[in-house]
Amino acid sequence: MNVDKPCVVLIDDEERILRSLSLLLRSRYDVLATTNPVQVLDWVRSRPVHVVVSDQRMPTINGVDLLRQIRDHSPRSMRLLLTGYADLAAVEAAVNEGEIFRFLEKPWDALKLQDTIADAAQIAQDEFARLTPPVTAVTPAGEPVREIVFAPVLVLDEDPLSVTVVRELLPPGSLVVPASTVETALARIEQQEYGVILAELRHSSDDVIGALKLLKQASPRTLAIACSSLRDGRLLIDLINQGQVFRFLPKPLSRELLRRALQAALERHRELRHEPHRLRRHVVEAPREVSLSSRVLDYLRRIRDQARLRA
Amino acid sequence: MNLPSPRVVPDPPAVAAADALATLLLPVTPLTPQCSVAEAGERFLEAANAKLLSLPVVDGGRVLGCVTRHELMLRVYMQPYGRELHGRRAVTTLMDLRPLSLSIDSSIEAAGQLIGRSLRQPITEDFVVLDTDGHYAGMGVVLDVLRALELRVGQHAQELEAAYRRLKASQHRLVQSEKLATLGQLVAGLAHEINTPLGYVQNNLAMTRDLLPGAAELAGAGAALLDATLDGDAQDWQQRAERLSAARAAFDPSLFGDLSALLDDTLHGVAQIADLVGNLKDFSRVDAAHSEAVDLHGLIDAALRIAGHILKQRNVQVQCRYGELAPLRCAPAQINQVLLNLISNAAQSIDHEQGMIMIRTQMLGGYALVAVQDNGRGIAPDVLPRIFEPFFTTKPVGQGTGLGLSICQQIVQAHGGRIAATSTPNSGTRFVVALPLSTAAAKVPA
Repeated sequence: MNVDKPCVVLIDDEERILRSLSLLLRSRYDVLATTNPVQVLDWVRSRPVHVVVSDQRMPTINGVDLLRQIRDHSPRSMRLLLTGYADLAAVEAAVNEGEIFRFLEKPWDALKLQDTIADAAQIAQDEFARLTPPVTAVTPAGEPVREIVFAPVLVLDEDPLSVTVVRELLPPGSLVVPASTVETALARIEQQEYGVILAELRHSSDDVIGALKLLKQASPRTLAIACSSLRDGRLLIDLINQGQVFRFLPKPLSRELLRRALQAALERHRELRHEPHRLRRHVVEAPREVSLSSRVLDYLRRIRDQARLRA
Repeated sequence: MNLPSPRVVPDPPAVAAADALATLLLPVTPLTPQCSVAEAGERFLEAANAKLLSLPVVDGGRVLGCVTRHELMLRVYMQPYGRELHGRRAVTTLMDLRPLSLSIDSSIEAAGQLIGRSLRQPITEDFVVLDTDGHYAGMGVVLDVLRALELRVGQHAQELEAAYRRLKASQHRLVQSEKLATLGQLVAGLAHEINTPLGYVQNNLAMTRDLLPGAAELAGAGAALLDATLDGDAQDWQQRAERLSAARAAFDPSLFGDLSALLDDTLHGVAQIADLVGNLKDFSRVDAAHSEAVDLHGLIDAALRIAGHILKQRNVQVQCRYGELAPLRCAPAQINQVLLNLISNAAQSIDHEQGMIMIRTQMLGGYALVAVQDNGRGIAPDVLPRIFEPFFTTKPVGQGTGLGLSICQQIVQAHGGRIAATSTPNSGTRFVVALPLSTAAAKVPA
């Protein structure tokens, strides 16, 4: 066995899936496969595990819960969900609780799966090579947002209520800037760096979803909290894989959920500023189709150039 | 004068409730108190009054009474010497002092009610219509009121029928949406059940395809070496031996073992998909209206396979204790719907780790009995009597239409059977479906 190979852990309740994936991956990785979730936790506790690929529906635990536990034990392991059916609840939980790298669907494309796992393994290998493990921010319920200087927050929503709620939730003196169109939002981001963008996915004229995807490429440090009354699992999967959306909140907004999401996002942004290498965890797939005007695309290009200068 | 023309029979749709009686008004010239009985008789013969059963006697706008044709005939014309005896007397001597009178602003319905209360059989009189000040306005004919009422009732019946049709359609839509909800649940489960084997089948085939060139090269190099060996050409042999050794380095023959395992899995996966699709076909058979003799156990097995994902997700064990059952005439797709509903309800009621569903069948008194028993949270005694009510649900808003069991009951009853439930909270629920074995009782709906 080659000790330099990155370690990939596979878990699925169907052994044939494990056999098939092991054969696909074993030449490049040290593959560990099991149908037992407890075994997976033992592995991530006892040795470096670079990538975990988990099924969603399993008899004793669902994939999101397992990946969340793995995140607590081994935050540097890259987490991927491989599921036969993407029900909305699972996808929302995957974003909000699992903070997963990719949401993959069965049946999968062998080449694409190998590419995705290669990306994930590379990122995890770099992180494991560093000495200090990163700290994950956990915010207990009910705790007030701490009095520290936060990065500015941009609110892209045609409904002015959202910006009011965000202002109420953040400590006084925090900069909260409203924008009602994609173009104004990008013009603001061009002027200064924002830690978080809270965006309503539904817009009367603009492709907010496409803009979020491209914004992640242009300014990866800005964390996106998507919110919408529109609840579509398929769309959300794209937002994970192509936009690395940090949280998804259903509308009407719950103040407590929004408060926690803002706090987690702002703290993550702070970590990313101090440990820029962790940005790689936010690498996204190229989006499939985006309908944005050339002016908007110009903004995105300039934002990308500035982000490179800052980095 | 804004009174409508007396001879015009009002169009039914134009009849407005407020001035309804006014539309039936006949502006009859009344008799005077000075008028004689003989003169009154002649007035009845006038063409304009041919329709009237009674004529009013009016003095200065005040109605004194009415003389009826009936009274005149009975007391005067049909009596011997009646005309001679009574002809010259004042009409007031024959008059009914309390004639039926109605205000012009009363509705046709009110007029109908009053007429119904006060008229005797046979109908011998019409009624006086008074204006809002209580003065004589004209006469109304009882038959006109009855005819108008009849039209009105017909209209109401039409409205009722339309309302009934709308209700029926919305009920149908609800039943369809319940079916769609079941279907959605089914599709979610099936997508998962099919995508899992599809996942490894596709992956295995892709890997097999990628391994084939290496395997072909190994076989080709081996054959080439064999040829060289047989020909005894030493130089060729050396070259070909190197080719074979390179091919073996690229494709380890132990991979053949893997390939064979991959293909075994692939065949298994394809068989599993075929099995699922087969079940689905049974499940959604379109010949729902056709009653056919089927094996109930087969239907239960199919429903269990379709519900497999729910059962697996909740780690629920299923035990089947099948008794002897004669083939049953039923609409298989509908009975499947009932079984799937009962099984998924049972699974959903279990929120602990030792979930168990027991399905028993037996024949009893001309019925096939299917009992579905779970060890879930049970149904509270106050809820149990209501579970078959349409729209009754204990699930959160948006998660159930509350029609599932009501549709089950409808289907079972349409088959001439019965469905009942017993439950002990925190220990489990048991549903029993009884379906008649003879075809006589079953009339399967389309």
